[in-house]
Amino acid sequence: MSPATSRQVMPLSLAGSLAADPEAAPRQKVLIRNVDFFYGTFKALKNVTMPLHDKRVTAFIGPSGCGKSTLLRVLNRIYELYPGQRAGGEVIIDGENILSPRVDLNLLRARIGMVFQKPTPFPMSIYDNIAFGIRLYEKVPHHELDDRVESALRRAALWDEVKDKLRQSGLGLSGGQQQRLCIARAVAVRPEILLLDEPASALDPLSTQRIEELIAELKADYCIAIVTHNMQQAARSSDYTAFMYLGELIEFDETERIFTRPKQKHTEDYITGRFG
Amino acid sequence: MASEHIARAYDEELHRLNNTIAEMGGLAEGQLGAAIEAVATRDAELAARVVEGDVQVDQLERDVDNLAIRLLALRQPVARDLREIFAALKIASDLERICDYAANVAKRSIALSQTPPVRPVYALPRMAHFAQLLIKDVLDAYVERDADKAYSVWIRDAELDEMYSSLFRELLTYMMEDPRSIGSCTHLLFMAKNIERIGDHATNIAEGLYYLVNGTPLEQARPKGDVSSLEVVTPGGAPK
Repeated sequence: MSPATSRQVMPLSLAGSLAADPEAAPRQKVLIRNVDFFYGTFKALKNVTMPLHDKRVTAFIGPSGCGKSTLLRVLNRIYELYPGQRAGGEVIIDGENILSPRVDLNLLRARIGMVFQKPTPFPMSIYDNIAFGIRLYEKVPHHELDDRVESALRRAALWDEVKDKLRQSGLGLSGGQQQRLCIARAVAVRPEILLLDEPASALDPLSTQRIEELIAELKADYCIAIVTHNMQQAARSSDYTAFMYLGELIEFDETERIFTRPKQKHTEDYITGRFG
Repeated sequence: MASEHIARAYDEELHRLNNTIAEMGGLAEGQLGAAIEAVATRDAELAARVVEGDVQVDQLERDVDNLAIRLLALRQPVARDLREIFAALKIASDLERICDYAANVAKRSIALSQTPPVRPVYALPRMAHFAQLLIKDVLDAYVERDADKAYSVWIRDAELDEMYSSLFRELLTYMMEDPRSIGSCTHLLFMAKNIERIGDHATNIAEGLYYLVNGTPLEQARPKGDVSSLEVVTPGGAPK
């Protein structure tokens, strides 16, 4: 048994960890089971098995090319936009395998929001950036739409900064604000899962802290997965950490444990900067 | 230490931390040895040198603190590196305390050398040598990152506790038999207690090292050999 598969089920003791809310034991929201992924003939993920817990943040770390972003892209099947890319295995969300061809991709992506490394606001007003997704999935009366936009911007801690210029272009915002706009856009459609692919890597330290603070607030409602190159960011913002290398999951555990006494030497070498 | 960091300066800083701890350890061993020699040979000059030497250890402890703070701030250590630094901080503080106790033994030996010799003075070096051995072994364990050796020090401290208990009873008997010896026997009692405490700090170091190596605390209950704090002795009667 590989080290990864032997740890697919979390030990009970994690329920009462410091990193997580001791009041509530985490509920498994997603089970990634024996997932393989191919870019053409190149195998980018090799038999990855791990859980994602609801109302918790799971960080994926590892050197470039380890498969962490690929794994994130499997979770909302965004890879299907590209020919030659395919996934094997199962991703079970609340009991349903979302890799099944029967799953409606539009509905799936409404359930799973994604934010990318580079802020990607639409070339339209701040208001419409948020309203766009809501209109896409729901028929919402005008006055209610205003409320939904406001609440999404508030959730993303952006409301106070943009409430007086909602009709201005989203492209006029600073990088950090644009990224929070993208997070607002993702939460506006009320997803269950948020996928963040290096959401702060292009931001200055203050904006980064704002995003991290936002993640901490959002996890009260969502199951969050974050890909990051910044080890301190993984340590600060996540409850669980998955270390990946060359497409394999090397170790998955409580973040506190990964950063104080990881089980695998490979993990230890990477997080302490001993990687060759 | 494990394989090297990509940033070589990081390794150098960690090595410096290690070397400073080792230097402190050597000093602690030497201070205790000299203090006890001063007791046995009634050498007030040597004792005075031990007392003066204490500042050196204090300086080294500050060096360890500064190095550790710098590493924490600049390197953001995690996992084994973090445990290395955490352990170094704790061990440095234990070694500093050990030297304080050694200096106190030396200080009392100056007073003791001005009174007529009392017999139990000869039991004290035996205790001190055992404590010295514990320090030496736990420092070897630190240098070798040997958790098993650290564990053996942790267990053996009970013997030192027992030596202290029996010396405690012996000294009480002397004081009851000859009240004129109360002054010197009280000094000896404090010295013995100091040495017993040195053993406790050696076990602290062993615990720190165990955590450094394994990432988990040494949680078992440690055997206690010192029962003197539970004893009541009355003149003219057997201990109750």
